[in-house]
Amino acid sequence: MNIQNFPVLAVMLLFLSAFLVEIFGSKIAAIRNFITIVAVTVSAALIFALIPAVLIKGEVISYWMGNWEPVAGYAIGIGYEVDALSLFFALLVVCTFWLSAVYSISYMKDDHHLGHYYTLFLMLSGSVLGLVLTGDIFNMFVMIEIMTFASVALTAFRNGTEGALEGAFKYLVIGSIGSSLNLAGIALLYAECHTLNMAQLSAILSGGLSPTTVMAFALIVAGFGVKSYMVPFHTPAADSYAVAPTAASMVFSGMVNKAGVYGMIRMVYIVFRAMDASALQMLLVIFGTLTMFVGVTMALAQHEFKRLLAYHSISQIGYVIMAVGLGSTLGLTGGLFHAMNHTLFKGLLFLTAGAVLKQAGTTNLDALGGLSKRMPRTTLYFLAGAAAISGIPPFNGFASKWIIYQAAYTKAVESGNFLYVIVTVAGLIVSVMTLASFIKVTQAVFFGQLREEHAHVQEPPFLMRLPMFLMALLCSAAGLFYPLVNRYLLHPAVDATVNVTNYIDKMMGDGYAAAAGVTNIPVQEVQFSFWDPLLWLVLFVVVFVAAAVVIMAGKGSRGRVLEEGAVADPKYATFFSGEQELYSQVGGSDLFWGFKKNWKAYYRVMDKLHSGIVTDYTNMAVIAVGVIVIVMFIFLI
Amino acid sequence: MPETAQYILWTAFYILIFPGALFTSVVGLFLAGVDRKVIAHMQRRIGPPIRQPMYDFFKLLGKETIIPHAANKFVFLAAPVIGFVSLAIIMLFIPIFGFTAVSGSADLIVILYLITIGGVALIVGGSASGSPYAGIGVSREMVTMMSYELPFVLVLLAVARKVGGSTLVFSMEQISQWQVENGHMLFQWSMIPAAIAFLLIIPAEVGMQPFDVAEAETEICEGPLIEYSGAPLAVFKLNTAMKMIIMTGLFTSLFLGQFRTGYYWADALLFVAICTVLTILCMTTVHAVTARLKIEHLFKFYWTIVTGLALSSLILVWLGL
Amino acid sequence: MMIVNYIASFVLIALGLYTVCTKKNLIKIVLGMGLIDYGVNLLIVSFGFNEGGTAPIYQLSDLLNGVASGYFVDPVPQALTLTSIVIGACVEAMALSLVIMIYRKYRSVNADEVRRLRG
Repeated sequence: MNIQNFPVLAVMLLFLSAFLVEIFGSKIAAIRNFITIVAVTVSAALIFALIPAVLIKGEVISYWMGNWEPVAGYAIGIGYEVDALSLFFALLVVCTFWLSAVYSISYMKDDHHLGHYYTLFLMLSGSVLGLVLTGDIFNMFVMIEIMTFASVALTAFRNGTEGALEGAFKYLVIGSIGSSLNLAGIALLYAECHTLNMAQLSAILSGGLSPTTVMAFALIVAGFGVKSYMVPFHTPAADSYAVAPTAASMVFSGMVNKAGVYGMIRMVYIVFRAMDASALQMLLVIFGTLTMFVGVTMALAQHEFKRLLAYHSISQIGYVIMAVGLGSTLGLTGGLFHAMNHTLFKGLLFLTAGAVLKQAGTTNLDALGGLSKRMPRTTLYFLAGAAAISGIPPFNGFASKWIIYQAAYTKAVESGNFLYVIVTVAGLIVSVMTLASFIKVTQAVFFGQLREEHAHVQEPPFLMRLPMFLMALLCSAAGLFYPLVNRYLLHPAVDATVNVTNYIDKMMGDGYAAAAGVTNIPVQEVQFSFWDPLLWLVLFVVVFVAAAVVIMAGKGSRGRVLEEGAVADPKYATFFSGEQELYSQVGGSDLFWGFKKNWKAYYRVMDKLHSGIVTDYTNMAVIAVGVIVIVMFIFLI
Repeated sequence: MPETAQYILWTAFYILIFPGALFTSVVGLFLAGVDRKVIAHMQRRIGPPIRQPMYDFFKLLGKETIIPHAANKFVFLAAPVIGFVSLAIIMLFIPIFGFTAVSGSADLIVILYLITIGGVALIVGGSASGSPYAGIGVSREMVTMMSYELPFVLVLLAVARKVGGSTLVFSMEQISQWQVENGHMLFQWSMIPAAIAFLLIIPAEVGMQPFDVAEAETEICEGPLIEYSGAPLAVFKLNTAMKMIIMTGLFTSLFLGQFRTGYYWADALLFVAICTVLTILCMTTVHAVTARLKIEHLFKFYWTIVTGLALSSLILVWLGL
Repeated sequence: MMIVNYIASFVLIALGLYTVCTKKNLIKIVLGMGLIDYGVNLLIVSFGFNEGGTAPIYQLSDLLNGVASGYFVDPVPQALTLTSIVIGACVEAMALSLVIMIYRKYRSVNADEVRRLRG
């Protein structure tokens, strides 16, 4: 087997099995599951097989469709090209869809028309994988369209549920505006450069940007902004993540918005090579900060578990865009790391939300409570995910947010621009608000009083627990073994993003990049100051000793429970100051009314902006596109 | 391997004895005792002996730990321990004048995070107890945390900028060294608003009146702690005491870091003495003369007045003053 | 002559955006999306056109003998346009089918009434 064929095989296999599932598996569950699992496993294995060559040896894998290699210095055929950046995102993508496919088997069991579901699921997986592996910008557009199409259909899959159709429609409208922007940008780019190959575009555009290419650049940045759901394009994300089947929500948040982020990085760093421009940096940083702030404040106001997670997804992507927009290798490292971590912990959180939905029948925060008694393992996984997203050490969110803060400070220092100080503080505050929001969920869903109607809720089945367990494991591992992640994943990816001569030469022939004047800059190793495995080891020993002491000293006891659920000894009951029974008047979703009351004016504006009317959303999107185009036109020409 | 063994032994010593768990707990309980004694004198009472919080701690350790039926046992018991460990670790990063146990290039951020974990432990523990009172307490604790976190970050940024000149320095050791060369941070006039802001943050961080909305005994029966008893309660009480030394100690290192006696033991004594003075100044007296705030007032107070102070300091420093 | 095409495509895109932003009828919004698409397609196909160029259909021998020495339109944009037209048609079909379903459920195609997901 030639390793050059692996990327294209991985993509083809998914598309092929998408149709096989529909043809052979629409009636029989076993065939359906078999085809799906085999397809995703083999595809994931093919991608993993690229690791030694690409990430460790630093090679670039290329494949020309139909062996149509460049003629006379012009790349006409469609080429697949896998550098470390592509492979980094491809790994995230395969991990996400593999885990989601495993989860789907149990989770979607009771739905109808599952043949359609798996077809769409595999098409979505294939399109996102193709998007990150392709080296051709128009092919990228086609993959974006398939991706949008499949995700819209998946959003509407449970079309009987409240809002599914509406969410899908809004997603489609905003999404297709984004795709049209991308297409217009690609058209302008082709008119100017007469090629669609990204390696060649990079070489040609490294000579500088003309008004036409700046216009193309602005449109493409806006287009990928829509795909990564940065504010104000975020509205369909909140709707579609909340109403899609949870296994699909996890895929959306784990890889569909990562596709937008990937496109953004690929465009600004590699194709247009324009990250030196401080106007572009500021544009991305401001949009990123806005995204993380609006996302988290909207999340605080939610009273639906999945919708809350959706807004957090938006907020975390804000971190990524902000970090990427800093334009430094440190920022890029932080951004990529956070993108990876977001895939892990947000996937985990969506899966726990799915488990709650499946087992308890609702995700309304006001109608849940006390589930930790009935679902202890799910609770544990949820806590791991919540700690990771809130940036609590030793989980992975801590490490990546740390690097992002460090990058933002460094930027503030180097540029002397007060904006970056504000951005840094905003990052820290958003982190605290994220924590607050997850405290709310913990309190409302897993702790607190168990409702009578949920007295017999069970743990989800094994096939749903397994992906959650794996993701929780990965969340802790990525935080604890950060230096390894950096050495084998982040550093090669950052290196590939900043130094593109290899990428260009592999596609266009040796010496092409040098002729176009593209040179390499060595990337410094990222210093992670307080990392010390021995210190952590000692720390863990101390934690265990302390825990043992407390448990030994306390001789903790809890009373027997009588048949009808009453407690035998009143001293084990919860204290209600003499009342017979008392539920907190503050509903689960309203835990932070003290905060919201002080921010009344802000929330009034936000309510008006998130009105649910599709034309309001399109207006916001069009205005934002206008702003991006104007800013880039003024500052980049 | 002897080097590694020695390293592990030293780290264990730092974490467990000085300046980690043991030192922090003893001094923290001492400060809590001083607080009670002084406030009693202010109210013309004799008050309990200064050792009283220690007695309380050991007495609670021996009591039965009741785990309410509605609680999640594991989280309920683990929360105080996690809080304790994170707080014990913080002291490793705070220089006691000439002495620092662990120093890195960004200690300040680690400290910020670990303090947050101390608060989160209380929140998660309360949440796990399953009581509606705890639910309200948790909500208030979280809002309190959001309130003081913003000015706290701004103060730390101002200090970092002041020390770094044109860069930002987040290493406690460098901040300490800078003060040896340039005098106390407190006497830099551009840093005075930041110092005042920090002093105002201390009582909220520790959970002292008038900022004890989360534990308001008279309204919501100690909020998150309502269902705790025995050893976990003892640990939580200890955590509160430890926060007193940590916050005052952080202030001492950040703003009064010029003192050097040359002897570690003398440094430590001086450090404790300054912390005691600060405790009386910003916790005991404030506690004695004020009544509890409402949560929305607390939020507004921190996001306007205290943030304004911290921000003015940051802007002054940024302008090079 | 090409300038007319560019203006036309710009007008189409602008009209599409206008429709998408102001019309409350969901079907009109779908039509607006279509207009944007057509505008972009016209733009692409115009980029490939050369005044007086012939169709880019030759045999190898023509090229070698110099029969087709000169001037033909760029075939790549045509391929792109075809692809994009197909995709656009699919998206519109999908959008219209969603509108039908929404009408069945909400008994309305007015955007102001299709807003159960908000906040």
